[in-house]
Amino acid sequence: MNTTLEAPIQINASPSLPAPGALSIRSLSKEYQIDGRPLNVLSDINLDIAPGEFVSIVGRSGCGKSTLLRLIVGLDTDYGGSIALDGERIKSTSLDRGIVFQEHSLLPWLTVEQNVAFALFNHPLPEAEKKRRVAALIDLVNLKGFEKAWPRQLSGGMAQRAAIARALVNEPKVLLLDEPLGALDALTRIYLQNELQRIWIRHRSTMIMVTHDVEEAVYLSDRVVVMDAKPGRIKRTLKVPLPHPRDRASHILQDIKEEVLSDLTDKPSEE
Amino acid sequence: MATRVEFPFKLTALRGLVLPLALLTWWEFESHRDAAHTFTFVPLESIAASFFDTLRSGDLISNWWASVVRTLTGFLVGAGLGITLGALMIFSRWIDRLINPIYHAIRQVPLLGWIPLISLWFGNGEYSKLFVVALASFYPTVLNTYEGLRNIDEKYISVAQVLKLTRRQFLWHVTFPNALPGIYAGLMQATAFAWLSSIGSEFFFNPGPGLGTMMMNGQSNFHMEIVMVTVVVISLTGFAMNTLLFRLSRRSLRWRGTR
Repeated sequence: MNTTLEAPIQINASPSLPAPGALSIRSLSKEYQIDGRPLNVLSDINLDIAPGEFVSIVGRSGCGKSTLLRLIVGLDTDYGGSIALDGERIKSTSLDRGIVFQEHSLLPWLTVEQNVAFALFNHPLPEAEKKRRVAALIDLVNLKGFEKAWPRQLSGGMAQRAAIARALVNEPKVLLLDEPLGALDALTRIYLQNELQRIWIRHRSTMIMVTHDVEEAVYLSDRVVVMDAKPGRIKRTLKVPLPHPRDRASHILQDIKEEVLSDLTDKPSEE
Repeated sequence: MATRVEFPFKLTALRGLVLPLALLTWWEFESHRDAAHTFTFVPLESIAASFFDTLRSGDLISNWWASVVRTLTGFLVGAGLGITLGALMIFSRWIDRLINPIYHAIRQVPLLGWIPLISLWFGNGEYSKLFVVALASFYPTVLNTYEGLRNIDEKYISVAQVLKLTRRQFLWHVTFPNALPGIYAGLMQATAFAWLSSIGSEFFFNPGPGLGTMMMNGQSNFHMEIVMVTVVVISLTGFAMNTLLFRLSRRSLRWRGTR
């Protein structure tokens, strides 16, 4: 279908690849008011993410990992401490930071192509260049031939790939993934994990993924951040010292996965 | 992409004709039982003859046209104002608070209940009929536009924020298409109400050209076949209007698929 995809992996081969960003999170805290009382959702989060790094955040529900992503993307700016991208404090959303939600959230009245192009709506590129980029991204996520399809005609996995294309078309410095594969069946998940790895190797933007799936986190990431709940905080950070692309069956991956799992389960859940 | 097995003949389309044909057969049978039945159940051939008579004399066309024009005018005015008001109530809290209670209070009064007042204000002629049609189209469009614009999925708001859409872009590219199914639902109801009230209004105000008047005249002159002709024409016209708008809505909402 597409020969360039099978070509040997070259990092930063294309001149139009975005410069990945460095993210720095310092003593970040976040409170919600529940029934008039403050609830500490995130407490003293410190995390540095290098340009081009793939970091996963795992933790049981309620540990604030999705909240953390919302803060980084800039959908919520009411927090304590600081989040900075390339030294600049995050004050609102920006085309520098893309996000893929658990639900694909494609606009149902736009075709796949229009949905991807929609992300370039406020981008100062010339039209021809926008067109070229949209086509390249649709190609990258293997949706060639589905440009004119409506979102309702896509399977869950295809829709999520379209959403990834939409998030990447702006060439963001950071791509945030909020349980992007969480709603998919097991086979589609594995397929999309491989796709995600391939896209990341080709694209090399900084990626931060929140997931429930420890195996997925370990397989894809350079580092896995384990979070704990009440208040949401970082319990531990593990390096995954293997080059990409990886072999799923690798013993090192298995060992790290066991370690993360035991980290997540060593204290009985309070829920 | 979506492949469906299609029969060479659309047998399913013919299924809808089964019941009408059975009814017509029964009707024709009843009409030939005796003289009294011939009066109450007008034989189909008399109806057909009357149809061509009134068609040739121009009566049918002119009355039909009068009702159709009234319906379209009233519909355009009522639905236009309805969409505008529904949108204004969404975009201005102030207008919403001002209008919403009174809208819902007034809506409870049946259209017929306004007729004495309407004839007092607009007289007994065409303007009053137009007002009734406009009002009938107005109610459902306000409500559906309002609901359509208001019910917007949280995730689309997040997407708009992440993509840095301006307020205007958000309105035009997210809010409006998101509300379109609701607006169409309102328009579908409005056309049905407009047509019904256009005919109905002729019964309550001074006679003028229109299918309702034609029907009343047929009744008072004991021309039951004319009554039947108007019944059939009213029903078919209403059906055609509905179908037309339905096709249009399906075309502009093709992203939703057929349902």
